[in-house]
Amino acid sequence: MADLSIDLAGIKSPNPFWLASAPPTNTGYQVQRAFEAGWGGAVWKTLGDPIINTSSRFAAVHFNGQRVAGFNNIELITDRPLEVNLKEIYETKKRFPDRAVVASLMVEPKREKWHEIVKRVEDVGVDGLELNFGCPHGMAERGMGAASGQQPDLVESQTYWVKEVARTPVIVKLTPNITDITVVARHAAKGGADAVSMINTINSLAGVDIHTWNTIPHVGGKGAHGGYCGPAVKPIALSMVAECARDSRVGIPISGIGGISTWQDAVEFMLMGATGVQVCTAVMHHGFRIVEDMIDGLNNYLDEKGLASVTELTGKSVERYSNWGDLNLNYKVVARINTDKCINCNKCHIACEDTSHQCIDMLTGADGKAILKVREEDCVGCNLCSIVCPAEGAIDMVEVDSGEVPMTWNERQQEIARLNGSHSEAEVV
Amino acid sequence: MSAFEEFDKERREIDELLFKGYHVAAIREDLDGAKVTFVMGKPDKGQVTLLLLTADARKYIVTRYMEGKRANA
Repeated sequence: MADLSIDLAGIKSPNPFWLASAPPTNTGYQVQRAFEAGWGGAVWKTLGDPIINTSSRFAAVHFNGQRVAGFNNIELITDRPLEVNLKEIYETKKRFPDRAVVASLMVEPKREKWHEIVKRVEDVGVDGLELNFGCPHGMAERGMGAASGQQPDLVESQTYWVKEVARTPVIVKLTPNITDITVVARHAAKGGADAVSMINTINSLAGVDIHTWNTIPHVGGKGAHGGYCGPAVKPIALSMVAECARDSRVGIPISGIGGISTWQDAVEFMLMGATGVQVCTAVMHHGFRIVEDMIDGLNNYLDEKGLASVTELTGKSVERYSNWGDLNLNYKVVARINTDKCINCNKCHIACEDTSHQCIDMLTGADGKAILKVREEDCVGCNLCSIVCPAEGAIDMVEVDSGEVPMTWNERQQEIARLNGSHSEAEVV
Repeated sequence: MSAFEEFDKERREIDELLFKGYHVAAIREDLDGAKVTFVMGKPDKGQVTLLLLTADARKYIVTRYMEGKRANA
């Protein structure tokens, strides 16, 4: 059995699964129930001046029978006084001393405001702080959350103010609602952040009711943009984690957040550079006990891989995440259809014929039965046929030796530029 | 003509010129493709220009050029 414990910039927890700052971590009752279920840590729902929420707050995007492919919310930070939260944090930490309890914080971008809340929160024994520079709705209209997080200089200065007084590690939570997340991550690091976490939710409108013409959700006939999360955002979050992990100018640990629902998702984030992960939507969908499967699954995976500690995963795939211009243009894969597993639905043929490179032929086999066959010389290896294929194992993408030396786009352009004696085209970096 | 056949036609033209002893002197790329200038010895001894249209041929010509450079290095 592998060691699942992690140490994120000095914040220790018995496993890498933390609850993200969100409705599941609103109260001591909830967080303690989560810890009973096995969660390694929890980031308390954001503390700040207590807000007033609307009624009707959440919405989900269901896709082709998949419930909650995406989740949208317009709920704000805590609506309870600070002292009430602090009392429950103290009790929770006392009862579960081995779990990580991190307080998410959000106040106006004023030095004295940050100093006040940091001191009061640290006095009850939290293990760390997470600065919420990410919430895109409501609080951003008041100059906090994502409004702060979209200004790198403000992220840096607020982090610096926190670090002036903080005695525990400081995590800066980043908004994805920005062109290049590494810029903000770098400024968080410059401000003294001990770690960054990402991603907070993405600006969203879950839908419009085509019968009533109301937004989804709506509050008495009016709506406002919310924050999107859940499985649909995972690829976006993973890319942002990877971008920060491979940027040496960021250079601080990462807590991965965004659509993580299973232990496999967690492994992917860790391979791409996260030290641990935070989960919200999957818990809101299925409850705290999903962590049991996550712990079991991760344990078994590590055993199968022969790894003694989960920390050995962190960053292992980062070097494989590169720039498009550094990919080998002479690498080649082609599709191969296994006729014994093919159900002749023709989806691959239609997809290829209508939207790709017209290289899957509908033929008749020697036995008179219809077969689908790829003209491999025309196949560009786009993967589309294998993506749309509903029959498991019916289409393999097979690596073929092109017989050519490796050549990236950047190498190609450099060669042409040298040949011509001048630069002909910009490199892709 | 299939995409492969279009490429194969251009590839054979490239291979034929290289086989005859031409070498690549310049590759100019624009909206219409890659204009490749082949020369035999000095430019005045013979010059041929190919306009390569297919992506695979535009990849192939530089691959061949790089291999040639490495072989002569």
